[in-house]
Amino acid sequence: MSEPAEYFRPLRPTELRQVGRPLARTDAPGKATGSTRYGGDYTMPGMLHAKVLRSPLASARLRRIDVSKARALPGVACTFTGADLSDRLAPTDIPGQTGAKRLDTGQSILVKERVRYYGEPLALVAAETPAIAQKALDLIEYDLDALPGVYDPLEALKPESPIVQGSNNIVAQLKIRKGDLDQGFAEADRVIENSYRTQFVEHAFLEPEVGLAWVDENDVINIRVSTQVIEHFRSIADAVGVPHNKVRIMGAMVGGGFGGKEDLTVEIYLALLTRATRRPVQLVYTREESFLGHGKRHPFVMTYRTGVTKDGAITALKVTITADAGAYVFLSPYVILYALVAAPGPYRIDNLHVDATAVATNNMYTSAFRGFGAAQACVAYEAQMDEVAKALDLERMAFRRRNFLRTGDKLATDVPIESAVWTDECMTKAWEALGERTPDSVPVKVGRGVACYQQSYGRIMWLHDTSEAWVGIEVDGTVTVRSGVTDIGAGQISALGQIAAELLGVSLSDVAIYHSDSSTTPLAGTTTATRALYMTGNAVRLAASAVRERLVARSAKALRATPSQVDLANSRAFVIDDPDRWIGFKQLVALCASEGIHRSELALFRAPFTDKIDPETGRGRVHPDYTYGAHAVEVAVDTETGEVTVLKSIGAHDVGRAINPAAVAGQIEGGAAQGQGYALSEEMCYQEGRLITLSLSEYLIPTAMDVPQIESIILESRSGLGPFGAKGIGEPALIPVAPAIANAVADAIGVRVYDLPITPERIVMALRQPDSME
Amino acid sequence: MQPRRDGAPETRKTMLADFDLVIPANLTQALQILSEDATRNGHDAMPLAGGTNLLVDIRARRAAPKRLIALGKLDELRGTTIDNGRVIVGGRTTLTDVLRAPRMAEHAPSLVQSARVFGGQMVRNSATVAGNLCYGSPAADTVPPLLSLNAELTLASQAGRRVVPLNDFFLGYKQNVRRHDELVTEITWPLPPSNSANLFYKLARRKGDAITVVGLAVTLVVESGKCSCVRIALGAVAPVIKRALAAEAMLIDQALTPTLIDAAAGQAVEACEPIDDARASAEYRCHGVYVLTRRLLTQAWERLS
Amino acid sequence: MAEKKLIALEINGRRLEASVPPNQTLLESLRELGYFEVKSGCEKGDCGACAVLVDGEAIDSCLTLTWTVEGRRLTTVAGLGSGEHLHPLQTAFIEHGAIQCGYCTPGLIIAAQSMLDTTPNPNDEDIRLALSGNLCRCTGYTKVFAAVRDAAAVMREGKRSG
Repeated sequence: MSEPAEYFRPLRPTELRQVGRPLARTDAPGKATGSTRYGGDYTMPGMLHAKVLRSPLASARLRRIDVSKARALPGVACTFTGADLSDRLAPTDIPGQTGAKRLDTGQSILVKERVRYYGEPLALVAAETPAIAQKALDLIEYDLDALPGVYDPLEALKPESPIVQGSNNIVAQLKIRKGDLDQGFAEADRVIENSYRTQFVEHAFLEPEVGLAWVDENDVINIRVSTQVIEHFRSIADAVGVPHNKVRIMGAMVGGGFGGKEDLTVEIYLALLTRATRRPVQLVYTREESFLGHGKRHPFVMTYRTGVTKDGAITALKVTITADAGAYVFLSPYVILYALVAAPGPYRIDNLHVDATAVATNNMYTSAFRGFGAAQACVAYEAQMDEVAKALDLERMAFRRRNFLRTGDKLATDVPIESAVWTDECMTKAWEALGERTPDSVPVKVGRGVACYQQSYGRIMWLHDTSEAWVGIEVDGTVTVRSGVTDIGAGQISALGQIAAELLGVSLSDVAIYHSDSSTTPLAGTTTATRALYMTGNAVRLAASAVRERLVARSAKALRATPSQVDLANSRAFVIDDPDRWIGFKQLVALCASEGIHRSELALFRAPFTDKIDPETGRGRVHPDYTYGAHAVEVAVDTETGEVTVLKSIGAHDVGRAINPAAVAGQIEGGAAQGQGYALSEEMCYQEGRLITLSLSEYLIPTAMDVPQIESIILESRSGLGPFGAKGIGEPALIPVAPAIANAVADAIGVRVYDLPITPERIVMALRQPDSME
Repeated sequence: MQPRRDGAPETRKTMLADFDLVIPANLTQALQILSEDATRNGHDAMPLAGGTNLLVDIRARRAAPKRLIALGKLDELRGTTIDNGRVIVGGRTTLTDVLRAPRMAEHAPSLVQSARVFGGQMVRNSATVAGNLCYGSPAADTVPPLLSLNAELTLASQAGRRVVPLNDFFLGYKQNVRRHDELVTEITWPLPPSNSANLFYKLARRKGDAITVVGLAVTLVVESGKCSCVRIALGAVAPVIKRALAAEAMLIDQALTPTLIDAAAGQAVEACEPIDDARASAEYRCHGVYVLTRRLLTQAWERLS
Repeated sequence: MAEKKLIALEINGRRLEASVPPNQTLLESLRELGYFEVKSGCEKGDCGACAVLVDGEAIDSCLTLTWTVEGRRLTTVAGLGSGEHLHPLQTAFIEHGAIQCGYCTPGLIIAAQSMLDTTPNPNDEDIRLALSGNLCRCTGYTKVFAAVRDAAAVMREGKRSG
């Protein structure tokens, strides 16, 4: 790997023709005209309508549940309670392509006895109409005995607290022991310690969970569902007790995911009901049910103790992270692993201790959400960088530069980073783009903040990630891509088309992409972990390259040239040094067809595999690679009301290579808005486990009135592991936004709000502290 | 044994409960239907204006009317006019109508300010000013402006019509003096004199489409260097939106000074009986009233002096 | 159960009659009739995904009873343009990359069209106010604003030349 400075140069004109252009996405026209069918837009004749009965208590014992009156209601086709499913569990572990079971985290599909969170499913109903299903739910009788619950993770660690499940409330505990911490603190001139808290956050995708299931003539349970993960068919089959090849998941365009459609949603309920009734069944969540029905972002309590010399060298860092896992395990162990790795941020810290604990409570369970634990860590490490700089009276960016991790330096887990690390370049460019400072105007104070980050792309390496894709050419010269990948809105599918078009020398409109069907498209793995482009993009690259090689060989023969002299572009094969010698793509394909030359390829891309990290020291490789970047903002704070207006918001990220720069900018802009909500307005509020922000008028994501014009700066080191040197941007775009805003608010008002969200009220309270304001 | 229902999650409300729907062609018909309902059916009908609150409540099972009287065809009640020195807003006038009405920004600056940030565009296109008043949410956006403008409502029934000052309209949380057989046909207020200022500020957790944390409107009229009229209306800080009468009394016939404004702002806080909820604490709401009273009075005074 | 009634509707220029109960919302009716481009996101007017035009003005179809729009002109996003014949807003949304998951897109385009009908030359504030009832979780609105500005210019040009 070269030094980053060598990478940091203006982009050259490239030989690429499709990749790197901001093409209109293949999925856009259907979405603009409304012809795209989402999961809820599919219906079938004779379809039943399902509903779920949910617990009104967060911690209780189900003494009795009686569905007899519901079942007797005319039009009710089927009911289920926990008693009907005595030996079946729903898996809550990370979905995989290998089928290996990783954690013992099964959960009752429906409550059998113990209710552990508010809204936990008690019963299912399927009926002829939604109205009858609704009425049937009202007829289900049940008795719940309230049990003492625990709703705060720090409380839950105390010995006298109620146990949520098993023998204690510790869901997972991980640590890093790198270097000599005592020595590091001894070398420090100053030691600065602060605690930061983050809140429960909701994905708030616009499309609530939905699915339609039916049993076909081969006894296969078909489920058309809005999901990030069609590979769940295996867990569904296990949960209902049928072989894996008897469940088929068909995705649809997903109306937003962000991790919230990574776990199972409606699939098992649908599978049970359609199997029992042998009729098609649809289950549509309301917004309220969506809020109750999927895991949230983990609230974290993070304590950072930083040792630093007078001139700003960090000598030691001790981090303690406590995460609220809620009532069930789900992906909490992995989420705190991400937090563990991310804890020091994009800084070189030789003496580092991190302790991360996920704690069970009777709150809503927490699971995957864009950023996956690393987002919370960034909230703390970037706030801490500003606080340390302030304490030492150092300029914030200079202090960061002094400590930035650079290519070849060791990560938190004591292994070197090999790809380009352009944190500095990104930070510098983002800050410069803020331009002239907006002046204060009493009582409004303007502040600026920047935050840098390191975020993985690709899955945890010991999950042995793979992805498959098929590329073929029809006899008329059109191209087909088949891949199980789900498109959750980021342009996952269109990017595959762009890669295939590039390698085969056709235009994007010549490519059709068939996707997200577990029985007919090769399994791509999940659309999670910022892995879709990296993994499936590479699989398509491999498949298209193999086909290309055969086409090039055959055209070389036809053009009396060697394969290395031939290129494919503009729907023709031509001699590079003599472009007048060419053969049309269609003609070439016909030639291949007539000669039986294989015009398709199924490729498998395999991520690098490693063993697990050392449990005592955390040493080892956790992710294949990382994306680096920065976000800079300018905010105006009304020091009387506490209102914050984000005036400027600029993301600068080294994405390795932008396959579609418009799509990359879209990720940066969307991440900026989501991060702004995280920083300022979004919070799922629970009282004794009961959700009290149960609508989109109480859970406040930013509107068109709230976000500024967002600016994206795309840097391309071409050092990534993805196709054409791409890194990932889906999760990274979000990561630095909230801490940048927090730092800007602190800059504006001279005092820090340590807890997210930074509400007007918290700002007013912070300003009342005696030491606030100069 | 009865099934337990207390505190059950609101997840079952995918459809609206059954009700009958009547769509009268004009005001006369509408009042006749309401009158018949009041005498025969035991008040189980409700007028349906924009529906942006009522239908939400029916879906959430917070309201269960047997019959809705949709007012959508009462075009005679839609629109704004000036007559005899008063601004008249018809009972079917939507928030968007208010925003599009010529010169409304001069006739009711605070109302226009509140209408702009009232829900989102679609809600503004449907919701009516009268509906916002009658629903009587403590956070209703148009009430503080209209209170500060000293608005009056005309309530019509088959038996006749009466005029009620908005100040006397509300009886308690979501309760008002409108009888079941009455409709709001007009909302009126005097054209503001040129020596007046009328301001509104909405404090909320986000800028677009948000429920108000504190809504505050101020009207000030200054004659010969003194306040000849002061009205301060406080939204979202008590079960009903109301005027800060004691604070107003401190300012009448006075030339405003920072000290006086500060004292009045403190007095306005005394009128608050706010709640703690997920949006804000009672303490913050009081703080908001203090800050905004001070701010709007200062701005109004500076504009006029 | 309240009585159903045969209601005459005009949707995207097509006249039809549908048997509708009084408590059915326009959102439910339209989806039952196969107008799936009208999306359901919250059923209480918080998100704008279900917006349609009634006589050219955008409303939330989840907060509108079908009986009350009898005889009025209804337009969904598919009624603005489809297939090869795209509305300038649709073209601009596609070209600007203003569409990600796309679930909010029909509502955003309807809300924008409603605003442009009365404000053909909108400023930044006009656009933000017009779209503040349409939540989008993917795009950060930046490309949406650019698309609306561009489409407005195209539509003004079209009016001048047409």
